Amino acid sequence: MAEYTLLIILFAPFVGALALIFVSNRQLSLVRGIAAGSAFISLIASVYLFYAYDPLKGGYQFIQRIEWSRQLGISLHLGVDGIGTPLVLASGILLFAGIFVSWHIKDRVKEFYIWILILAAATIGVFMSLDLFFLYFFYEMSVIPMYLLLGMWGSHTKKYLEMTDAEGLKQRDSVGFIFNFGANSKEYAAMKLVLFLSAFAVAALMGILLIYKFSGLNTFDILVLREQAHFSGPLATLIWLLIFFGFASIAPIWPLHSWSPVGHAAAPAATSMLHAGVLMKLGHFSIIRVAFEILPETTRELMPIAAVLCIFSIIYGGLVAYYAKDTKYVIGYSSSSHMGYVFLGMAALDYISLSGAVIYMFAHAMATGMLFAMAGWVYDQTHTRDIPSLGGLSNRMPFISAAFVIGCMASIGMPGTVNFIAEVMIIVGSWNKYPFQVVVAVLGIVLTMAYLFKMMRGLFYGSMAEKYSHSHDAVTVVDRMPLLIMITVSISFGIFPGHLYSVVRSGVDPLIARITKVVPVAEHPMNRPHATSPIVPTSASREALAKVTPR
Amino acid sequence: MTFSLTLSVSDLLLLLPELFLTAWLCVILIVDFSFKRIVQEQLAYLSILGLVITLACLAWFDVTGITGTLFGKMFVLDRMAIFFKVMILLATILVILLSIDYVHRFAFFRGEYYFLVVMSALGMMFMTSANDLLSLFVTLEFATFGFYVLVSYLREDMASNEAGLKFFILGVFAAGLLAYGISLVYGETGKLVFSDMTGAAPTTGLVIGFLLIFAALGFKIGAVPFHSWIPDTYHGAPTPVTAFLSIAPKVAAFAILLRLFLVALATFKPAWALLIVAASILSMTYGNIVAIAQRNVKRLLAYSGIAQVGNVLIGLAAGTKMGTDSILFYLLTYLFANLGAFAVIMAISNAVGSDEIDDYSGLNRRSPFLAFAMLIFLLSLAGVPPLAGFIGKLYIFVAAIKEGLYILITVGLVNIVVSMYYYLIVVKKMYINEPLDSSPIKTTGPLQAVIYVGLAGTLVIGIYPQPFLDWAVAATLMFSNLLGPAASVPVPTAPFGG
Repeated sequence: MAEYTLLIILFAPFVGALALIFVSNRQLSLVRGIAAGSAFISLIASVYLFYAYDPLKGGYQFIQRIEWSRQLGISLHLGVDGIGTPLVLASGILLFAGIFVSWHIKDRVKEFYIWILILAAATIGVFMSLDLFFLYFFYEMSVIPMYLLLGMWGSHTKKYLEMTDAEGLKQRDSVGFIFNFGANSKEYAAMKLVLFLSAFAVAALMGILLIYKFSGLNTFDILVLREQAHFSGPLATLIWLLIFFGFASIAPIWPLHSWSPVGHAAAPAATSMLHAGVLMKLGHFSIIRVAFEILPETTRELMPIAAVLCIFSIIYGGLVAYYAKDTKYVIGYSSSSHMGYVFLGMAALDYISLSGAVIYMFAHAMATGMLFAMAGWVYDQTHTRDIPSLGGLSNRMPFISAAFVIGCMASIGMPGTVNFIAEVMIIVGSWNKYPFQVVVAVLGIVLTMAYLFKMMRGLFYGSMAEKYSHSHDAVTVVDRMPLLIMITVSISFGIFPGHLYSVVRSGVDPLIARITKVVPVAEHPMNRPHATSPIVPTSASREALAKVTPR
Repeated sequence: MTFSLTLSVSDLLLLLPELFLTAWLCVILIVDFSFKRIVQEQLAYLSILGLVITLACLAWFDVTGITGTLFGKMFVLDRMAIFFKVMILLATILVILLSIDYVHRFAFFRGEYYFLVVMSALGMMFMTSANDLLSLFVTLEFATFGFYVLVSYLREDMASNEAGLKFFILGVFAAGLLAYGISLVYGETGKLVFSDMTGAAPTTGLVIGFLLIFAALGFKIGAVPFHSWIPDTYHGAPTPVTAFLSIAPKVAAFAILLRLFLVALATFKPAWALLIVAASILSMTYGNIVAIAQRNVKRLLAYSGIAQVGNVLIGLAAGTKMGTDSILFYLLTYLFANLGAFAVIMAISNAVGSDEIDDYSGLNRRSPFLAFAMLIFLLSLAGVPPLAGFIGKLYIFVAAIKEGLYILITVGLVNIVVSMYYYLIVVKKMYINEPLDSSPIKTTGPLQAVIYVGLAGTLVIGIYPQPFLDWAVAATLMFSNLLGPAASVPVPTAPFGG
């Protein structure tokens, strides 16, 4: 049973979506039950996976290999390492939470759950793919559900709704040619998202095809390519750039970020959660899985690109978030900004900083998931996301307001939340290599405080407009549970990061050892995460190190 | 040139599917004329019965491996011909199912409609077996003949008449080019059979001759710059005929293109590969860009079809065994997605009476099933996983990258993104826009059957393509002596730069 864990995590949502097709939209409780049930199975299996993953052994575990096409050299090759495991867990948590966050959706409930299950399953598929073909397969598969989720259940921005043309007609009724959606509408956001991501995805596909051709191995298998394919010179640079920018667009790195905040703003709450929580991490993860694994040499040479771009991501995203007036824009730009930290952690190519980056992905998934869930709640109650017109909501919704404060604290990186650990690791790890970026990152934290506190004050404190006096707090178990789950996870890993840290290190160590050929400093205090697992370097990293010792 | 006309029974066995279908054609005609009160549905099912029996016969050939040539190599039955014939028969069966509701719109000659459809199918079956220039000409014209009538079958409708006239004039012009090209090639080489021509000296006359033949075949598949008849003809023709036209003649013409380029012209590959690359880039780019501006869904699919042909030509430009496999596989995926999409169009057109994309508004609320089916078919045409179209495109790209066709692949990849825009516009109308008229749309049994077949094909091939890949690979074993993938570039031996 245990060896099928990955298949259960991956296919439970698919099976749930399939089952939903045959259920009538009128049987509301059955529809929700199936969605929640399949998400729950996936969640339980991913929790099991997280704790059953053996960091002492390291490497890829729970491997499944099913031949898929002989002619093309493709197999459904699944497996997780220390980097994929926490991300699978984060996807499982956010999917389960997302099902409950969208409990009150009334329009086409069945279709909503079908698409959200497919979206989550596809992202989970990327995190466990050990085959380039399936990595791309699941990656591209996650894009189309986003289009429908944004378009069918999303919302326009305030700016768009007030837009009228010369005759005073609502502009959204006008029909044009290519840009017939009108900027800021949900259709525009959805189309922009799909075209942007597809355009860069095909760049990544070109990189994958070049890897396939020039490895000469006739296979898409990452583990085989990692061991046997070697690229150098301009070709390696070209492949690396295609892979990096192809996947970095979803991360989203500046200047390829513009689809992302628009998409966040238009999306329904659960979709924003999955989008910011896990979909954006597909970018970092795919870069680590493809570029770091297959092109270690080139990664060492070219990763400074990310170190430069991450400065712009952090500062630009932070500044726009400070001046934005739409709650979801604030959180969306804050996510773009925070993804810059992950890039910084990756760019430093250090044991501590890359581990920090991976933990940051996990931590950010929880924090931003909370914030989007609550922004969605506020929007459902007040039908506006315009911060200046809101205020004083803590009178009406004490629970949400308290949870929001926790969410902001987590997002800022308060000690006690897992974000703190991740931020400290990124900053400490990259100090030696990129001191300037570290200064920027610390300034970025100050900026994060500024805009999150500003939004918090704007939403929950001050005087409340009369028209919002009928808004409700989250009182039922169904409404509170998703937030409580994410808060619990964030804080408990913040206080007890031991297992998370050793799992991540077991994935990071062999990778960095291969790329930098530097042996991890075992006696460094940061390297002793947990009394019961003093295991750095792991056996896997020792093996990798044995391979890279000069011959 | 002489060939013996002493045919044994075992020789005729190779012709069995065609002979049977010819006999069945007579049966259809006789039944139509003799029974005055016969309803057209019965004729439709009678035609389908004949086609299914032919299909079964071909399946038996495929399993037992019966192959051979006839009439001094004019007619060849190999596994590739069987593959193409199966595709054509499948398309014909689905098209007849599509037609059953539509035929009521014809004022008269309802029975002959089925006769003409099956006759065209017979012509195209011969086309896939054509192995020399004469049989190429005869079968091509035989296959097109039925279409001339079918396209203008709506006698009262101006658009249909215009479509028919346009198709006829350009078709006859293409036939003229073909005949002239054949005469030049025969004059230069003195050979008619494709496989005898290999190694002929590339004289000017020969080059011009082959260019003319390619132009005529380009007309059939609708590749740019021979595409100009496609939009108006697709728009004006009765919708089931458009569906038929959008897949079957292309399939048959690709069979000839493969034999012509990979057998007769195998030695000149570097020269014609450029030609194919140019046609491919033009078709993909032109088809996709112009499709963006379309308001009518039939025209949209016409232009998307031009772009799809550009994609298939990538496989031909690769010119390898794998390229051939990918063409066969791609056409199979295209068949299911395209006919499925036309089935949805028919269902909506029967209910709404229009093919404008604006009338698809809110389809998801009016008929969730039709909207979902259309979504799947359009996304498969766009090449989104996990649907068949994605595997087809990827297979073609893999075949091409092994030959180092980087520019072509880049153009192809960019075009995927462009095409996604206009397919998603239809999706937007169906799913996001609110319906103008919220009455539910009912579909009839035959249409539903086609949609189910299309969905099954698109999803099964997309999720588990191995058996279909195997079938395509087995069908093109005759090409396994073609140049394989270029020798892989030597890779540096030191794993970490020394």
